Amino acid sequence: MKTLWGEMSAELEKQKKLTDSLIIKMTQVNYKNKVAKIWAPEAIGSAVGFAYAGYILINMAALNTWYLMFCGIVSVLIMITMPTLSITSIFKIRHLNIAANNYKQSLLEYSNGKKRFVSVQKFKFYLGAILLLVVMPVMSELIGGKDIFKAPGVWYWYVIAFPFYYWFAKKWVPGCYNNILAGAENILKEIEA
Amino acid sequence: MHSREAFIGIIKENEGIIYKVARVYTNCREDEQDLYQEVVYQLWKCFGSFRNESKISTWMYRIALNTAISFLNKEKKKGGQVPIDDDLLNKPDTPDTLMQERSEALFARIKQLNEIEKGIVLLYLEGKTYDEIATITGFTTSNVGTRLGRIKQKLAVQIN
Repeated sequence: MKTLWGEMSAELEKQKKLTDSLIIKMTQVNYKNKVAKIWAPEAIGSAVGFAYAGYILINMAALNTWYLMFCGIVSVLIMITMPTLSITSIFKIRHLNIAANNYKQSLLEYSNGKKRFVSVQKFKFYLGAILLLVVMPVMSELIGGKDIFKAPGVWYWYVIAFPFYYWFAKKWVPGCYNNILAGAENILKEIEA
Repeated sequence: MHSREAFIGIIKENEGIIYKVARVYTNCREDEQDLYQEVVYQLWKCFGSFRNESKISTWMYRIALNTAISFLNKEKKKGGQVPIDDDLLNKPDTPDTLMQERSEALFARIKQLNEIEKGIVLLYLEGKTYDEIATITGFTTSNVGTRLGRIKQKLAVQIN
């Protein structure tokens, strides 16, 4: 095996293919893309969340009952918490200290970061569900001027939606992340072996 | 020392290392090219902090392996890389098809190992001593020996 690897490496040595300009291009294009690649989706999501939070905060006085006020405050808190959690967990997982870490440290940080990321994603899902529940009355009041708590039949929609949500939360969400989590835990176990 | 010319020289001198790491840690040509470029970019980014305290190849392996780990984590976002002629990083184009087939099979077997094993076996095949592997990976020398024993057994089972 080692002999074959040596022969292949010797072949590679004969086939130097990189040119000066290609190396320079690789560093420059990558650098420009880096910022957009890492931050664009998170930045857009966060901006939308913060914008909505700001809109509700500015119009808080229009929420003239205690329950609408409560829904408004919970919505604002969730809209600020969700992107903050997202950005923090992604930042941690993506920013391994490549220059200073050894391989073991990087694997540890990567696997722990992944576990943290999965926990945050699950938590965000439940926060999102609560947000869906509380933001509707707020937006209905602010945009349409209607208090949906007083509208007849509105609660039926929540009752109809609940089983779907329950299935989603119990089956789909864990199913999405269990493999990632298992992968990370396997690496952590293997490091200790 | 830390000039653009010095960096280019080092990359050209050691491009085989980057190729082999990219090959071992990816499963398709597109990802392989992405990782290849990512390693070059990370080496460039870290080049200023290289202090000549270790061999340049040791430093390169460390950066390349760490980059491979962080690359695994990233979502596949295509379209941001330098367009490269498909043949350029598709090495080796040896006329010896038997050797090509055997090295394909070897890469395929290594790819089946877990991340820790991939890193260790790659360094072992590159001719690094147990001490050097320990320095790059952070595992103790004896642990590297134990793990290599297990890896050899795994690979032997795969071959048989």
